[in-house]
Amino acid sequence: MEPVLTARVGKRDSRSIETYLADGGYAALRKAVTTMTPEQVTEEVKKSGLRGRGGAGFPCGMKWGYIPKDTGGKPIYLLCNADESEPGTFKDRLLMEEDPHQVIEGVAVSAYAIKCQLAYIYIRGEFWDGARILDAAIAEAKAKGFLGKNVMGSGREIEIVVHRGAGAYICGEETGLIESLEGKRGQPRIKPPFPAVYGVFGCPTIVNNVETLACVVHIVNRGAEWFSKIGRNEKNTGPKLYCLSGHVNRPGVYEAPMGLPLKELIFGDAYGQGMKGGKKVKAVIPGGASAAMLTAADIEDCPLDFDGVAAKGSMLGSAAIVVMNEDTDIVDAATNLAKFFAHESCGQCTPCREGVPWLYKVLLRINAGEGREEDIDLLLRISNQMANGMTICVFADAAIAPVLSSIGKFRDEFVARVRAGRAPAAAGVSA
Amino acid sequence: MSSAPPPPKDTFTVLFDGRPIEVPKGLNLIQAAERAGIEIPHFCYHPSLSVVGQCRMCLVEIEGIPKIQAACTVPLKDGLAVKTTTEKVRQSRAATMEFLLINHPLDCPICDQAGECKLQDNSFGYGDQHSEYDERKRQYPGFDRTEIGPHVIADMTRCIQCTRCIRFCEEIAETGELTFLDRSGRTLVWTHDGKPLANDWSACAADVCPVGALTVKEFRFRKRVWYLDKTRSVCPGCNIGCNISIESKDFTVYRFLPRLNPDINDYWLCDYGRFLSEGLNLHEVEKAATKEDGKVASPIVPLAIQRLAAEIKKTIAGVGPKGLFFLGSATLTNEENFLLRKLADHLGCPNRDVVVDKSRVRRMKSKKGWVEGDHAAANYRGARDMGLSPGAGGFGLSDVLSGAAKPEVIVVADGAFSAAADDAEKVAILRRARVLAVASRTANALTRAADVLLPAASLAEKDGTFTNVQGRVQAFWRAFLPRPPIRPHFELLLLLACELGLGERVWTPEDVRGLIRAEVPSWASVTEESLRGGPLLKKGDFLLRDA
Amino acid sequence: MSHLRYSLTSAGEPAVFPPDALKKIDAILALYPTKQAALLPVLWVAQETWGWISREAAEEVARILELSPAHVDGVLTFYTMYHLRPVGRHVLQICTSISCHIGGAGKLLDHCRKRLGIGLEETTPDGKFTLLEVECIAGCDRAPSMQVNDAYHEPMDVAKLDALLDRLSREA
Repeated sequence: MEPVLTARVGKRDSRSIETYLADGGYAALRKAVTTMTPEQVTEEVKKSGLRGRGGAGFPCGMKWGYIPKDTGGKPIYLLCNADESEPGTFKDRLLMEEDPHQVIEGVAVSAYAIKCQLAYIYIRGEFWDGARILDAAIAEAKAKGFLGKNVMGSGREIEIVVHRGAGAYICGEETGLIESLEGKRGQPRIKPPFPAVYGVFGCPTIVNNVETLACVVHIVNRGAEWFSKIGRNEKNTGPKLYCLSGHVNRPGVYEAPMGLPLKELIFGDAYGQGMKGGKKVKAVIPGGASAAMLTAADIEDCPLDFDGVAAKGSMLGSAAIVVMNEDTDIVDAATNLAKFFAHESCGQCTPCREGVPWLYKVLLRINAGEGREEDIDLLLRISNQMANGMTICVFADAAIAPVLSSIGKFRDEFVARVRAGRAPAAAGVSA
Repeated sequence: MSSAPPPPKDTFTVLFDGRPIEVPKGLNLIQAAERAGIEIPHFCYHPSLSVVGQCRMCLVEIEGIPKIQAACTVPLKDGLAVKTTTEKVRQSRAATMEFLLINHPLDCPICDQAGECKLQDNSFGYGDQHSEYDERKRQYPGFDRTEIGPHVIADMTRCIQCTRCIRFCEEIAETGELTFLDRSGRTLVWTHDGKPLANDWSACAADVCPVGALTVKEFRFRKRVWYLDKTRSVCPGCNIGCNISIESKDFTVYRFLPRLNPDINDYWLCDYGRFLSEGLNLHEVEKAATKEDGKVASPIVPLAIQRLAAEIKKTIAGVGPKGLFFLGSATLTNEENFLLRKLADHLGCPNRDVVVDKSRVRRMKSKKGWVEGDHAAANYRGARDMGLSPGAGGFGLSDVLSGAAKPEVIVVADGAFSAAADDAEKVAILRRARVLAVASRTANALTRAADVLLPAASLAEKDGTFTNVQGRVQAFWRAFLPRPPIRPHFELLLLLACELGLGERVWTPEDVRGLIRAEVPSWASVTEESLRGGPLLKKGDFLLRDA
Repeated sequence: MSHLRYSLTSAGEPAVFPPDALKKIDAILALYPTKQAALLPVLWVAQETWGWISREAAEEVARILELSPAHVDGVLTFYTMYHLRPVGRHVLQICTSISCHIGGAGKLLDHCRKRLGIGLEETTPDGKFTLLEVECIAGCDRAPSMQVNDAYHEPMDVAKLDALLDRLSREA
């Protein structure tokens, strides 16, 4: 496939507005604001089948459609979720650092579609370069009249503000992000009300991932039909960025049609080019730390799209594929993942605040060779009583996925660790 | 008989475990369930604070929603079908209990919250008996047993992170002293830089705490709460008239707790009023005293009153009733003040008065907003309503103090009527009367100067009503009997009235309320039911438990 | 990251924003419909100004944004990137999340500990280095990834780390 979202990555001076314009940039925004109504743009996005690229895979156009027709005079906000923090994920960083104008155009076109005049790009605090690059690009776009009070002479106002986070994974959750943008602790909100009705500053709000908004540019440029024909089936459409990392020969961001076979991503010449040192695959995390691990057998026939990965009992999530080879210590890996979640829980809901650190403590003990066999079932029991509505957001559901799947698929390793009664030579998880 | 037209529906029909119940709109599901007689256990929910849905205790199943739901966050609607007894609900609540307890210390035996702890209650009702937690319990060195404010002790090892205290300070007190610090399993509630939690209602932060994380310093370790008797009362601190319960045992007041009254104090009580409780145990005038020809005697109360009655009769026989002066008090009940005024009328004396000291403006958050009071006593408005201002041709206290009026007999219904009672100069002027009679509980310059001193009971030891700044007449009840020979002001005044030919010895405050109703227009709508005020509360709880 | 973020540290003197920082704050305030929304960006200005955020700085931010100091504390301690104590000139942030973990981040961390003689969240006595363990910084394809202050250094290994520390040590 000809790259779409990453077509300009690696090109000389790809960040500048001049090269972006030379490559046909801002045509989508011009087309939208001069020839289309907001409703037409929304309709096009709906028809494209575009599903959110942030992790949940919710249909983008449908989400936009939830904004009340009459907002009672309240402004509508678009928040671009650039808080990319899911371990294993690095596609949005690439888009923002390498082709910032594509992101800005995506935000602007989408803002037009939902009748938003002020959009924020909530970028994680660690993306210093990303924030600087976006700020510079916004200034360029404003200078050209592409943003501001009168976008391309259309009379429409669209402003974009880059807002930096400050180190909290949970702000990637859309209501956590909203709270954070309001200057609070990023504790997710109770839903309903959903952000489309009552979001940031109490106003209708749409939160979309960077990659999702970048897709909108191309949907407007080339049409919904073009977009919907890319991908495995009509429910999994468009080009997709896959973040490949771990024990492969060529880790990186790869763009492919939605539904790329996982095996091809790992072994294909255009992609990962196989395992480093010719080792065997032991486990694959297909969608970031929140996604259940897959086994070597699972990768044989797993299309990387929302439904394909779900069929394997996991999720595509942010399409962060972490490949672990046969030498990987699964107990150690599970402990590392639990540590991440124990550090990042926002702390408001009891089951998550208490349960996630509990999981980590037990795993830490098992990993250090101080576990008992009954601890393994205890981990399952704790996990099972944290999810499915036990908490406000799905963080707890995410936190248990690696625990349940690693035990479910590699229980022997846990048992062996417990029976050996000592830590592995290479255990690296620090307390 | 014609059937009434159907009233407009201002309720929802909610199915609780299959049983349809009509519940008023605007209620939270937890409250609605309570109306239906179903308890939904909870920690973070509080009806006067924002809903945060984070303790995850109030879990229920809602028909049509696959996931378990926190009841406090479920909007009520017609036809909502709530399941509260399924195995899934039971297991989910037990799970939350287990999570809450893994890091909670097992110090119930020495915890002041024991007996009114929601963690205890919900463990009892909804927890499982065992836990497999085998890790070290979380500790908060430096944040345990710490005075976090003048009235509140914080012990974060017991905190269950429900944020009620934080929300109280933000939303009710509007002072925002408390916050969550850090996150995940390390989340802690504290103030900025250890600054004191010192707003005017700070002890309410401990009230709303469902566990022993915040406790009230003044009450700690004084009494096991299950020994305390609760009596409906009204705060004597100012004219806002906050509804309280007096918590007492064995002739001792241990504390005040707020009693729910959305129109006045909702679930709250100010620190000033709350800590007047200890003062009620003070009895500085323990027996009657009379002075005659420089000799001090301690007769029994009826004899002291007979002596006063004799002096009054003597004055009437001499200069007439204009030689008398009756001073009511904003600290006394409507019934007492009414009796005093009736007595003055009965004797044909227009010389009567009531005064009040101004205090700093006190504020209380009712459900509808702030209520303000600035009187140093509870019942000035009521005393005025009872007619305690100078009658036609009569004089008042200012006339006496200025020397314009020189009564022979002065009857001061309460020795604590004003700061003037401890002002030597003013007392010296009152002392010019031939007979100065005072009923009082506490001692001051006035009681030391009195010729007839009568030992009076405290708020906890009598029944009566106060009328607050809004004009609401509110009753309070006796928590325990005064120790003889101390008697309620009402009885002392009634004894005097009877000696002078007014009333009957068997009159109760309730009987007198009947007389007031017949005479005072503003009392037309006052009924025994309307006097009751709000229901009793438990610390850390809001359920409407009527005692 | 094992350290608790419960208390702020006094700088021993009042925090007064210099004029250019105040200008930045004014510009930030214009970007949001509420003052509170400016909290994270204004805290960033504070950290740029002093290198860390002291109790006094938090109080000054609270005053400017008309927030309770407690609210500011709650936010400050929630987000891990605000330094609650003075830090070294070079803040070494080593990612130990899954891809970097299986890519050898543990070795880097151990090497830093040994070479610098400090633990996590500690600063070398010469004030040059502070060592932090951080969660995934989206450098997974170049694992193990790290940042020094605001710049990525990836992929990293012990030899490259030594060279980097040598260079940074030589800098003034």
